Amino acid sequence: MNRKSLEHLLHSHHREAFIWSRQCCGFDSDLAKDVLQLTYLKILEGKATLNEASKAKTWLFSIIRYTAIDELRKAGKIIALDENQELIDLPEEVDGTDYDAIIKLLPSMQQQVILMVFYHQMTIEQSAEVLQIQLGTARTHYARGKKKLKELILKSQTEANHGK
Amino acid sequence: MENDELIESFFEDMRKADQNLDVPVFPETKNKKINWLIPVGLAASILLAGFLFFEKEPEVKAPAEVIIITLEQGPNHEQQFKIEESTYLETWESSTSSLLTEF
Repeated sequence: MNRKSLEHLLHSHHREAFIWSRQCCGFDSDLAKDVLQLTYLKILEGKATLNEASKAKTWLFSIIRYTAIDELRKAGKIIALDENQELIDLPEEVDGTDYDAIIKLLPSMQQQVILMVFYHQMTIEQSAEVLQIQLGTARTHYARGKKKLKELILKSQTEANHGK
Repeated sequence: MENDELIESFFEDMRKADQNLDVPVFPETKNKKINWLIPVGLAASILLAGFLFFEKEPEVKAPAEVIIITLEQGPNHEQQFKIEESTYLETWESSTSSLLTEF
């Protein structure tokens, strides 16, 4: 794929790529911008090559994710997470309109699988490719993430109803 | 399925909220087109410098310092003067040397 095609590809996915970058950076917009810039540089300088045009989105999301991990590590913001880490105790109050905060209550891998499937309309298979994990593992994160997110949403709704 | 609807509704609202996000402008990438004028200009300068450096200096002719005037006999036995200019004299014969040898 030549430079012009790559630029066109990146341009067409730009908004979604920024949102994914932000989600990978713990919803930090400034860091997300830096990560996206670095990702584009990696791609345009040929450090990351796309082998299958049909997997462009998966490929782009994967590079963004790994770049975000590197930048978070440099910034000392990354916490060594156990992939199977379970949700910490539910907070006493959950603001139903603070979507970012609710998502952040999920373990990292569950967050990312759930975001890719529900927010970015990707399949569990694609999310497994982005995270470079087995499909079975991705399915587990998906099921657990969905269950916990539902609990959080219901909790926020209950609180909102009690508040009325 | 009901669970998925709850979650889908949550993400629908999240997407709406994200409409207000300040998405950075897609960075303009500069094409690394080579400005051919630069290498062409450099090559021309090098060639010109080489040409000037190796060019032979024109030989400057020294001004004539010797005028040779000879009296020669033409085909019809007439006498004529021949005037030549030169910077040096290869041979010189005294006009009266014949008096010494042919006497």
